[in-house]
Amino acid sequence: MARIELHNIAKAYGSVEVMRDINLTIEDGEFIVLVGPSGCGKSTLLRMIAGLEPITDGDFRIDGARMNEIPPRDRDMAMVFQSYALYPHMDVSRNMGFSLEIRKAQKEERGRKVAEAAQTLGLASLTERLPRALSGGQRQRVAMGRAIVRDPSAFLFDEPLSNLDAALRVEMRLEIARLHQRLNATMIYVTHDQVEALTLADRIVVLNAGDIQQVGTPLDLYERPSNKFVAQFIGSPTMNILGVVQSEGGVKLKDGTVLNVGSETGQRQAHELGVRPEHLDVVAEEAAHMRGVAELVEHLGSDTNIHAKIPGVGPVLVRQHGHFPMKTGDAVNIAVDLEKAHLFGPDGVRLAA
Amino acid sequence: MTAIADSASGEPRARGSFYFRYMVEPYLYLSPAIILIALVMLVPLAIGISYAFQSVNLLRPFQSGWVGLENFQTLWNDRKFWLALTNTFWWTLGSITFQFFLGLGLALLLNTQFYGKRLVQALVFLPWAVPTFLSALTWAWLFNPTIGPLPHWLAALGILSEPFNILGDPNLAMWGPITANVWFGIPFFAITLLAALQSIPGELYEAAEIDGASSWQMFTKITLPFLAPMIAITVMLRTIWIANFADLIFVMTGGGPANSTQILSTYIFTTAFRKLDFGYASAIAVALLGLLLIYAVILLVLRRKLVKI
Repeated sequence: MARIELHNIAKAYGSVEVMRDINLTIEDGEFIVLVGPSGCGKSTLLRMIAGLEPITDGDFRIDGARMNEIPPRDRDMAMVFQSYALYPHMDVSRNMGFSLEIRKAQKEERGRKVAEAAQTLGLASLTERLPRALSGGQRQRVAMGRAIVRDPSAFLFDEPLSNLDAALRVEMRLEIARLHQRLNATMIYVTHDQVEALTLADRIVVLNAGDIQQVGTPLDLYERPSNKFVAQFIGSPTMNILGVVQSEGGVKLKDGTVLNVGSETGQRQAHELGVRPEHLDVVAEEAAHMRGVAELVEHLGSDTNIHAKIPGVGPVLVRQHGHFPMKTGDAVNIAVDLEKAHLFGPDGVRLAA
Repeated sequence: MTAIADSASGEPRARGSFYFRYMVEPYLYLSPAIILIALVMLVPLAIGISYAFQSVNLLRPFQSGWVGLENFQTLWNDRKFWLALTNTFWWTLGSITFQFFLGLGLALLLNTQFYGKRLVQALVFLPWAVPTFLSALTWAWLFNPTIGPLPHWLAALGILSEPFNILGDPNLAMWGPITANVWFGIPFFAITLLAALQSIPGELYEAAEIDGASSWQMFTKITLPFLAPMIAITVMLRTIWIANFADLIFVMTGGGPANSTQILSTYIFTTAFRKLDFGYASAIAVALLGLLLIYAVILLVLRRKLVKI
């Protein structure tokens, strides 16, 4: 059980500052996902929380106590590494019970806790194997078991599923969600996969180039992205961004069409219009905002993605639910769901709308 | 279809020469290597061992011939052989212990980050590159109180009552070559163990640190198990090399004073090339070979039992 606070955290390697003024409070029992493209600093932030990476500046607190200088072993956190970092010379049960072995726990207690964790993770029949005799998914479970056995105040996950195949990833994702429900412990999870972030998180922290872009619930991020980066990072397929200019009664697309959005943008000028593919609709010609040609149509079964080219506006991706009878080269007329469109200023910040 | 038919029709011929194909043909291809190895390794070894059962003395050329186990009987009753064997034991044990622990320490130091690491790493290798003969001479001079500083330092530290040459003292002489050998052998352990250290994934230490391990626990529970295979093989190799390593002793003390630094390999050398008694020298060599084989087998069995990686 731990409430984790980051106040003005900064990280520099020599004179190169990679992170500055990171402020974040993680409530006790919360599942926080740090998400961002590679190199955004999410792993570095996690490693600073774990104590594996020194914090250059700022205040890092667990339950109110400053932890900046406390070594990892005294922070009472468990970490699951991307490569699992299992001890190759120890069998599964010794791997899982290693932290107890270090703390010189009673042998019976150790055996009981390891057996318990092995049971919940479905590893009971494998406890005497060495890691090299396990499959990727089993290794992943052992790494999680090692964390569970410790009964830590917080769990840290560093891209734990990125080495698994797609099917296993979905399965382990569910298992992690179940684990959080059962233990109700604070969890900090790093990933570059937005699906993992959206499905697991209580709150998501979107990072880019060492800066926090937005903190919010998955739905917050989807519906009210604070800027263009978040808007494009969250949601699949990516949001369409179209250049616009402010005009009478809304914004004007490059081909001159006026869309009635952004009446409440205040003093700021809209620069770009963002609209998700699922908020575009193929309609009859007279109801359309944009008219173009389907350049490529992807039939996914559950959805149909239409890559349309709109003369004077540019490429636009439309997603239609279910199977949509359209093929490459067809004319396509698109209506924008004006309620769900976003406007961004020249600096990429979303304008209140 | 035709391809299958062809191979089927070829089958009876192949079955006819089954013996040739599976029992002879592979060795035919291997024969150049086998012949070469036999010529340069096995033949000299066999001849050398056969000398142990013959009288081959250049000073008595007309008494040569097979003598059975006579050489070994002489060996059993040779006081000098048993002395040399004891000396070999202490020489090997002393050298390998200091070489290993100092080499391990050096490897652990070199595995950390510090300024000028590359230069230090290169310098560490240096003793290995100096010709043995040269280092033996240098160390002999260092131990000589008239020109070397070591006796004076040892006396100043109170280890010696007065600065004298320990190479001339039968009780202490063995420490001279051992010191030189330690200096000479540390780089081998440092470099091989450093390579093994660098192959340990850093993440394991991070995981252990998070699991709560102290530095000492990380060393005993992660570093040592990872080093174990390398330790087993290097200690075995070095033990065999050191037991056979006559150069340093031969140059520094010549086996003296009063045979106090005479080890089996120097004894073999003197017997063979000073007394020109090749038969007896061979018998000693065979005895040494047997002892080292037993040692190697024990170590390999231990290694299989202890090492899990």
